[in-house]
Amino acid sequence: MRKTRCLILLLGLMSVWSAARAQDVVLVANKSVQISAISATDLRAIFLGAKTRFADGSHALPVLLKGGPVHEVFLANYLGESPQEFRTRWQKAVFTGQGAMPKTCDSEAAVIEYVAATPGAIGYVSRISPQDKVKTLVPHN
Amino acid sequence: MPRRLALFLLVCLCTSTLFAQDLSGIQIHGFATQGFLLSSHNNYLSMQSSSGSLQWTDGAVSFTDSLTSNLRVGIQLHMYQLGQLGGPNVQVDWASGDYKVNDYLGFRAGKVKTALGLFNDSQDVDAIFLWILLPQSVYPADNKSVLLAHLGGEVYGELPLGPRGGKLFYSGFAGERILDRNEGYVQQLAEDGLTFATPPEGKTYGGDLHWQAPLRGLTMGASAAVQALSGIASVGTLQIPSLLVTSPYAQFERRKFYVAGEYRRTPASAILTIGPEVILLPEDQRSWYVMGSYRFTERFQAGSYYSHYVNKALDTALPANYSKDWVLSARYDFNSYFYGKVEGHFLHGTGLGYYESINQNGLKPNSNMLAAKIGFTF
Repeated sequence: MRKTRCLILLLGLMSVWSAARAQDVVLVANKSVQISAISATDLRAIFLGAKTRFADGSHALPVLLKGGPVHEVFLANYLGESPQEFRTRWQKAVFTGQGAMPKTCDSEAAVIEYVAATPGAIGYVSRISPQDKVKTLVPHN
Repeated sequence: MPRRLALFLLVCLCTSTLFAQDLSGIQIHGFATQGFLLSSHNNYLSMQSSSGSLQWTDGAVSFTDSLTSNLRVGIQLHMYQLGQLGGPNVQVDWASGDYKVNDYLGFRAGKVKTALGLFNDSQDVDAIFLWILLPQSVYPADNKSVLLAHLGGEVYGELPLGPRGGKLFYSGFAGERILDRNEGYVQQLAEDGLTFATPPEGKTYGGDLHWQAPLRGLTMGASAAVQALSGIASVGTLQIPSLLVTSPYAQFERRKFYVAGEYRRTPASAILTIGPEVILLPEDQRSWYVMGSYRFTERFQAGSYYSHYVNKALDTALPANYSKDWVLSARYDFNSYFYGKVEGHFLHGTGLGYYESINQNGLKPNSNMLAAKIGFTF
């Protein structure tokens, strides 16, 4: 009985930790990107394929996580979309010849590696991921 | 047919762990679907639907490569079987180069999907829709190729209208369209006695302008296209002089709700010459639909639409000159790659989707239908 309670408590703590972790999404960009803040409108347009450049005119290359809580929180909080809506939007672009899917990474470490190595790249990770190889962008309205 | 279904299921099972492939920058995506249609009366869309038909398979694979930050090239190969239409031939759905100068101006050239109304360019991408059949009054499944793509080019872009004005999106196109010889129009012309060695073709040009309002989720716009078509058959000719297709539309999506509507007018009168006989086929198609849907969960979505078609050039009281369809649909996504759909149709009139060759005992004016589809996309 005691073991079961401990297990439930542990699972509860894990889910709370996971949710708290997911809320802490950080925008990261390649160090060559000149801007230090990005508007919500620009961020949405870049990740939905409607815009290909940052406000300073340099080329923007979005990178996505394949899935998981950080990905879902990013889509919900920054783009206002569910994973299904986001997928549908990109499928339409891909299958009509109007766009190519952004690069997708399996892990936050892979996002950091890609962003660090790719000029113009912009992605998102949780706050606990090491960000010394990239620069962080501040979102604003 | 069972072989085709088995192949589809095999592809689905074998690729359940397959993600979209990215080989040194070349992206590979694809989809495959298998449908079923059962109708209470009549055989619909050239399928033996009155006894239940599985002759409804669709598949495509696309290859895209971004050569530079401004230039992208790609091709999509497509195969479909819809009753007696389509077949095993693989067609080029689109194949184009896309050069985006900046966010305000871009060009596409090659075989390009034609922007017309809300769904014309995406009507054959089953995975993105709740509906199994889009409103047939505006997007007939048996005659997609007439408007789906053209050989030529397109200019496109967006114009921001300030922080409170929203955005204006524009596109203009010009080129040539060629009818798919395995599709409905050519089949209907064959029923009229005209068999074409080379499919009918003609020039087309037009454009689309839509406004993304500052109220998030609201889009309003209008498309127009000028088209002509001609073809020479062994015993006669087909001639459709230049005509203007117009299509105003609006859609609104907010969180789990989606509503949309579109009107289309197609005054496409045809002149058939069969031997010494000249036959005029007057057409003034007035088509519209309204649709709405709600996403109950991330995986489950349901909705309904009403689709209305009437040929104003003829007696609109005759069932052959109208088609009115009430539809109820539901979709369930099993995961990111697999989905299933089910749909009920309450169809009045026989103006669309019926072929004499498969309805030789005549048509009943009304028919109810049940459609189901499973699909896989990566």
